[in-house]
Amino acid sequence: MIELDRVTKYYGNKLAVDDLSLTIERGELFAFLGPNGAGKTTTIKLLCGLLFPTSGVIRVAGFDLQTEGEKARQLLSYVPDQPFLYEKLTGREVLQFIADMYGMEATKARRRIGDMIDIFELDDFVDDLTERYSHGMRQRTVFASALLHEPEVLIVDEPTVGLDPRSIRLLKDLLGQEVKRGVTVFLSTHSLDVAEELADRIGVVASGRLIACGTLDALRHQAALDGSLEEVFLKLTEEGENKRVVSRYQAPPI
Amino acid sequence: MNALSPGLLLQRLRFALFRNSLRVVMGQSLPRVLTIILCSGLIWGLLFYVSWMGFHELRTRWDIPLDISLMAKVFDLMFLALTIMLIFSTGIILYASLFTSPESQFLLSTPIPDDHIFAYKYQGAVAFSSWAFILLGSPILIAYGLEVGDGAPWYFYVVLPLFFLGFVLLPGSLGALCALLLVNLVPKRRKQVLVAVVVLLLTGLALWGVRALVEASQNQFGSRSWIDSFIEEVRAVPDRLAPVQWIGLGLRAAALGEAADMGYYLALVWSNGLLLYLGTVWMARKWYRRGLNRVASGGALRKRYGGLWLDRLAQRVLFFLDAKTKLLIIKDFRTFRRDPAQWLQILIFLGLAVLYFANMRRFYEQDIGRPFQNGISLLTLAATSFLMCAYTGRFIFPMLSLEGRKFWILGLLPLERDQLLRGKFAFSASVCLLLSLFVVFFSDVMLQMPGRVMIVHALTMIVLSLGLSGLSVGLGACFPNFRETDPSKIAVGFGGTLNLVAGLLLVILVIGLMSGPSHYLLAADRETAWPAWWVWAGVAAGAGIGVLAAVAPLKAGARNLRRMEF
Repeated sequence: MIELDRVTKYYGNKLAVDDLSLTIERGELFAFLGPNGAGKTTTIKLLCGLLFPTSGVIRVAGFDLQTEGEKARQLLSYVPDQPFLYEKLTGREVLQFIADMYGMEATKARRRIGDMIDIFELDDFVDDLTERYSHGMRQRTVFASALLHEPEVLIVDEPTVGLDPRSIRLLKDLLGQEVKRGVTVFLSTHSLDVAEELADRIGVVASGRLIACGTLDALRHQAALDGSLEEVFLKLTEEGENKRVVSRYQAPPI
Repeated sequence: MNALSPGLLLQRLRFALFRNSLRVVMGQSLPRVLTIILCSGLIWGLLFYVSWMGFHELRTRWDIPLDISLMAKVFDLMFLALTIMLIFSTGIILYASLFTSPESQFLLSTPIPDDHIFAYKYQGAVAFSSWAFILLGSPILIAYGLEVGDGAPWYFYVVLPLFFLGFVLLPGSLGALCALLLVNLVPKRRKQVLVAVVVLLLTGLALWGVRALVEASQNQFGSRSWIDSFIEEVRAVPDRLAPVQWIGLGLRAAALGEAADMGYYLALVWSNGLLLYLGTVWMARKWYRRGLNRVASGGALRKRYGGLWLDRLAQRVLFFLDAKTKLLIIKDFRTFRRDPAQWLQILIFLGLAVLYFANMRRFYEQDIGRPFQNGISLLTLAATSFLMCAYTGRFIFPMLSLEGRKFWILGLLPLERDQLLRGKFAFSASVCLLLSLFVVFFSDVMLQMPGRVMIVHALTMIVLSLGLSGLSVGLGACFPNFRETDPSKIAVGFGGTLNLVAGLLLVILVIGLMSGPSHYLLAADRETAWPAWWVWAGVAAGAGIGVLAAVAPLKAGARNLRRMEF
């Protein structure tokens, strides 16, 4: 469903994504992990067609994003790490706008909007202007908009930031359901528990290179470590280096 | 896509956003809306009256009939100036709107075609950059219609908005084309190229203006033959810029009742405007997303900002301030110079000022009579003051709002909140004082104005620098808009409009009271009556008003800032 073929991306002379090849099947939840600045958000922007690869090809449902971007974007939904909502629209108007944008038939759009309001418990505030929403309310509205038109591919960047435990549980359940329905999910996150619980496969990226890819067991095997995903991730990305940095830092007494 | 085309969908979105914004504003404060309408009406009315008086004077006192081709040439000059301003303002607004706004990123990740997103953004940018053109242009042209011949026929007033709407498509599309070309062809050097173009353009305009004045100066300054000669000299350029002429010729034809010619020029304006618009949208279909990619990928992943010497220079210039205030000012200075949309407009401001003074220089070199010296000196004083008013309104007023949602960081700093305002006030007043005193002193020396007038002018500039700075900083704190990230939009909001109107009134009052009496004495040739008590009473009254204008808003702003929750 998603195919990255030898994708490289440069910013000026700085390499952000290095020869990335990846295939994600329909109905798979792929978690994309990596330290800060590893190239996760760049990869996601490439997947949405917001950036073009310096070399290589990206296809979504067989459509080349550079030449048939509109067709590909008709099938996908993108939830960025800092989601955008029109502040002078109500949540309901945002949902209606999305329904119209994706060409949903009026009766179906009404039904789906009702479903989304129920599922994400938006009822209390859906008719308020979104400028009054808290972060959690915004995030729930954004997810409702992303799932409203029943996308085939869902691309999510840091979905759990700012959500309360109940909303995180709701989100996890929902992503699980969408995957069962056949939706392909590309999830970039620092929440390793979410990745550990939901992901079919996990990719670990560091300095733009995919350094590990596979199931959790495959990653454990590669890291030669039978621990949690956190331990495996740290081993793979050598962020154990952090411990050394912390031990060198000596704060002055208060 | 569905039966609802993307274009219609985006127009519906625009309508919903407008309707909801209007409801919010009306719901929050009806007096606020009424004040904005009243202020706009006041400006419109004032401009109409001045234009009408001007046309009346031209016709009756100077015996210049308004139906001659000379007026079309005057319109050409006006529309040429407006065209240049519209090209730059649309280009700058559209650049920010297309390539840096979160809304664009959102829309580009949806299936809406790129050219529709571009058209939606383009329409917003053109409407935003040309509202002032409509507000300022319409009273002048309506006044012209009333004074030309026996009065223009009714359809002159009907086609006026049609000419305006068609005309703004031309500079708007050119500005959009420039923005697209810049990001696609020179993504790494776009700022430098833009600065070079602005400097070249302004230099060219200045040279052209000077040349025209040199030729015109063969005749007695201010005479009918001088005006004829001047207009004749400048006609060469608009002739080569035919589209700028179409609107002037069309409006003149409408005013004179020549309906066929009017229709011809109206069709010419609209057909060319639409053609250029279509061409721009077609280009955007190919180059918008590509440009966005090039802007994002053109430079280094993490840009390194240097310019430490500029900060050190600012530290030295602001030697009279305490360390914390200096720190805040340097932070503002850094933010300002790293935002091209900000400093580019300053550059245009400065360019226009240079243009004005380059042209004025011709008068200094001529042996002109005392009445003209007197008039030009007052004109320079007023022009500098109005520029200062525009500068504080556009750049100083939005400064506090631009701290945005991260304002709490400043709120938590170990310093009094009043100090934030004092820092911004000191920054604004320093810049205004330095520039305005230099310009006015230079002009007065060249014009050989008497020393006492120079002192009065210097006092006027000091009072206005402090007054306008206090007004903008204070009202900026009274009416902060932390949601908006575009300073030009903050400046045209309610607080910004109030600040502009208050600033204009302050300028008129202070100049009228402080410098008016001494210019009256010069004009009336009663210099012997100089130590007149009412001259100094005017200076004192103007200074009092200036101090009040600085202190009262600053106090109100500080009170509001202290009460502010984050």
